[in-house]
Order: sequence, then C-alpha cells, then structure tokens
Amino acid sequence: MSETIIDVNNLCKTFKIHKRSSGFKGAVKNIFYPTYEYKKAVSNVSFHIKEGEMVGFIGPNGAGKSTTVKMLSGILYPDSGDITVAGYIPHKQRKEYVANIGVVFGQKSQISWDLSPLDSYEVIRHIYKIPENKYKENLERFTQLLDMSQFINQPVRQLSLGQRMRADIAAALLHSPKIVFFDEPTIGIDVVGKDKIRKFIKTLNQTDNITMIFTTHDMQDIEKTCERLIIIDDGQKLYDGSLENVKKGYVSSRIIEAEFESLPIQLDLQNAEVTDVDNNILKKIISFNADEVSVNEIMTELMNTHNIKDISIKEPEIDAIIRDIYEGKIVMR
Amino acid sequence: MKDIISLFFAYAKSGLKSRFQYKLDAIVVIFAVFLREAGGIIAMYLALLKFDTINNWNIDELLFLFSLIFITYGIFIVFFMALRDFSDWIKHGDFDRVMVRPRGLLTQLVLCGADWLAAFGHGTLGIILFIVSANKVGIQWDFGMAVYYVVIVISGVLIQGAVFLIFSAVSFYVVETNSLKEIFYWNMRKFAIYPLSIYHKFIQSILIFVVPFAFVNYFPAQFFLRKADMAAYPDWVMYISPIVGIVLYIIAYSFWKFSLRYYKSTGN
Repeated sequence: MSETIIDVNNLCKTFKIHKRSSGFKGAVKNIFYPTYEYKKAVSNVSFHIKEGEMVGFIGPNGAGKSTTVKMLSGILYPDSGDITVAGYIPHKQRKEYVANIGVVFGQKSQISWDLSPLDSYEVIRHIYKIPENKYKENLERFTQLLDMSQFINQPVRQLSLGQRMRADIAAALLHSPKIVFFDEPTIGIDVVGKDKIRKFIKTLNQTDNITMIFTTHDMQDIEKTCERLIIIDDGQKLYDGSLENVKKGYVSSRIIEAEFESLPIQLDLQNAEVTDVDNNILKKIISFNADEVSVNEIMTELMNTHNIKDISIKEPEIDAIIRDIYEGKIVMR
Repeated sequence: MKDIISLFFAYAKSGLKSRFQYKLDAIVVIFAVFLREAGGIIAMYLALLKFDTINNWNIDELLFLFSLIFITYGIFIVFFMALRDFSDWIKHGDFDRVMVRPRGLLTQLVLCGADWLAAFGHGTLGIILFIVSANKVGIQWDFGMAVYYVVIVISGVLIQGAVFLIFSAVSFYVVETNSLKEIFYWNMRKFAIYPLSIYHKFIQSILIFVVPFAFVNYFPAQFFLRKADMAAYPDWVMYISPIVGIVLYIIAYSFWKFSLRYYKSTGN
C-alpha cells in the first residue's frame, strides 16, 4: 500500500523571458537586439510521494508550484532531473501516462459551457475509452457523493461556481485515475461549497486510495484534507513534512495584544518580546512561548505595573505561520 | 480506427449540440459565411462581364478554379479548425487540457476542432460553384476523373492543413502568429483565386514553392481544363498534388513534433 508512486529528483526548469525595454526606441531595439532574462522557475526540487498520500503544495504566486505540477502531469518538459510517476516518465510517455491521472484546473473548466455535465461526460467517456459498466458505476457514485443529481442535465452556464466545480471534479475522476492533481480546486467558492468539495475529496482518498496533490492558496483546503505539506518558494523546496509539525512548532507560541491607559509604558518582561504598534503608542504586542512562561505570569506582571484598557490573547493562524516561512523568519527542517 | 471514428462522432455531436443552444445564431452563421464569400464571387463575376476572360480563362473556368478553394476550405475547417486558431488554444490554456488526455495530441486537435456551421457555409458554396461550372467547362467525366477529383480535394485539404500545422508549431515559440497567417495564408489565398499564370514570376514561385496553393487549385484544375497557359509549366506538376500534400504534411508534422518540447504553457 505504501509504495512510492511519485518520485522526483533534482528537478529544474528555467524559463527564458523576453525582456522588453520601454518606449519606442526600446521597442525598435528589441526587434534587432532581443535581450533575455532567465528565470529559474524550479531549481533542484526533490520529493517522494507514496501511494494514497494527500499532499498540499503551497507557495506564493510565481513560486514554481504550478510549473512543478505541470511537469508532473506531462505538460512541460523539465530541463534536468528525473520524474517518475506510477512507473512512467510523464513527458516521454505522455499518452500512456495520462490515462492514469486526473487533473482539475480550478480556473479552467473541462466541461463545455453550453452543454450539460452529462453531455461532456459522454465525450470524456470516449476520450478515455472508459468501459460502459465502470462509467455507469462511477457516474452514479459521484452524482450521489457530490450531490449533482439536480443539475447534471442543466447547461453548465446556468450552474453556480460551486456546482460547476463539483461537476468538473467528477469529470476528472470518471476514468478512475490513480493520481489526481488539483490546481486551486476551491477558488472563488463559498464556504458551504468548499466544505462539500473537501469532504468528497477526503472520502474518495480513503475509499479508493487515490494519491492526491493539491496546489492552493487556501490553507483551509490543506488543513481539512492533507497530512503532508510541501512548501515551495522561489523555485526551491522550503519545507517538506507533516502539517502537524508545522503547527506544533507554533502551537505553544502566543501573542498578547495590550492597550494601556497612559504613558509611560515600561515593560521589562522575561522570556517575552515586546514590539511596538505603528499607529498607536499606547498599544504593544507581546509575543512569547507558552512553554517557557505562562500566560498567567505575563498577565499578572502587566496588571501589576500598568493600567490596562484592553487586552487580547491570540494563537497564531496557519496562514501566519506559512507567511513567516516564506519570509524566512523561520527555517523549517 | 473504429474507435477514432466513434470519438469523432462524439465530438461532432457535442460540438453541434452546443452550437444549437443558440439556434438563431447557428443558422445565421451559415448564411453569413455563405453570403460573405458569395459576395466576393459576385464582384469577380461583375468585373469579368467587362473583360470576358482573364488570360484566356472564361468565367466558368474561373469558377471551377475558385470552387476548389471553397470545397477544400470547407473540409479543412472540419479537421484543422483547432490548428487554424491554435494560438488561442495556447493562450487560453486549452492545450494543457489536450495534453493531459490519453490520446494523440493531433488526433484530439483534428477531431475536436470542427466548425461545422462555417464548414457548411463554405462547402455549400463550393459545391454550388462546382455544379454550376463543371458542366460548362467541357470535362468528359468518367470514373477515373471522378476519383482524381476526390484525390486532389483531399490533397488540397492536406496542403492547407500542413501550412497551419507549421503556424501552430511556431506558436510554441512565440504564441501569437496572426500576422504570419495573414501574410502567408490569407494573402496567398487571395492570389490563388486567379490563374497562376497572370502573376509575376516572384509571386508564382511563392505560390509554388513556399505556400503551395498552386497545387491546391491551379495545377489540378489544369488536369481537367488543359488551358494553353499550362505550356509554361511541365506537365507532370498536374499530377503531384497528392505527393506535395503528403510530403509537406510530413515535414510540418516533424517540425511540430520537434517544437512541442518548447511549449511553455501559460501562467495562471
């Protein structure tokens, strides 16, 4: 069950970007002396994913996660490095390989705007040569799990974004792929819709043991579905490990935001860091580790020495943790 | 093969179904294409009333020459529509979708891109022109003639398909290829409406060697018409359209295949 299904070693991809000078003179110069910039989209990335794993790929815009996923799905040629997925080399054995994968592009539907999902599925059945009984079985199951029966015969243009996305996810799964790539599967969808999608994905992973890779900006997507997280920034892998681990490193850190009645504020706290707030000289942020010093101690100290107008205690959010990782404030290993 | 045909029909069915979601538009498109192209022919017809002949070709012979352009183009847009608009496929990310499906890339592009309605407009016009002219130009039709006519239509489709396959391959490097198409296809097509022999040598050689429209209509039409201006060219060129079509397509295909690895996809 736990065999490696995706094996990536030292993957690199560089894009040549046409550099444009501005103005008329620049435009003329460009024609005769084009200058290029080389952007390393992915550099030396390696990871291994086991069958049935759910892995979240996150990183800021332009970090290289989409490029990585496009190389994994056989769309782009890598410059160097090796990729093996389910025993295939994606860019070399594209046709045979892609029969084993499903891809959901959140921003690019694969079902036709003017047709009903069912009409589009019919074409997909032909493309993938899905046997009749398997097609029927999958269709029935997904219709039920994704609650699609009331709109499966309606033209897609009349569907809500959430319904469309559910129909799209079903479309990518009809041929029973072993691996599914989700590229921002919940983008622009309301809370209820997101929840339905995440639940379905989770269920499917458990029942069918499908390996799933997500790229997303929505940390909730990852928190609700994945156990493993790969963080990519500037083409490099910053973190690869359990989601739990990332949270654990932060679970004990606390932030107290306090607003004082009057100046001067003299805080001399042990094991805690005090930072100023830009627009309010009466406000301070005190961050500390709950393992080293208790909230109680800090509070008592504050109350005893100053008059406090307002106070709040915060746990860091996962988004904030990730932001810190991007910004290099924490190095995860 | 059976499987390819069933896929073709599945695409055709869904394509037509989605176009007929807007019934009025669908019907208007057919007429619009028909009328737009017919307008060009009427203009030519009126001009010829003044001149009588162009380089010894009378109006019926010219229409016969013209009909080959429409018939081949009508079939061309059934099969090569996606390649004609390939820059858009890249820009909108549709080609990514094609790449993650377990069929040949060109198989998918050729089978799924059909613009049936425009094809119907062009094709009908071509067939009308053919029927009107073929009777009057003195062709002694027999079985062999009919077969050769079918062969040259297929060759004509293949030649134009190959030209667009090359443009598509260029799209992998530069994405937008509209001006290229404008210069090397649409302008050449305008030249090809009239007999090749009326043009300056330079334009003739472009139509023969660069964008071989001469093999789409002029040379094969000469096989049927045997006009005097054919004396300027060797006789065998009337027979080699299929070879030109196949060879050009193979060259175009190899270039396409080679260029594929430079596909950059588009960001999201």
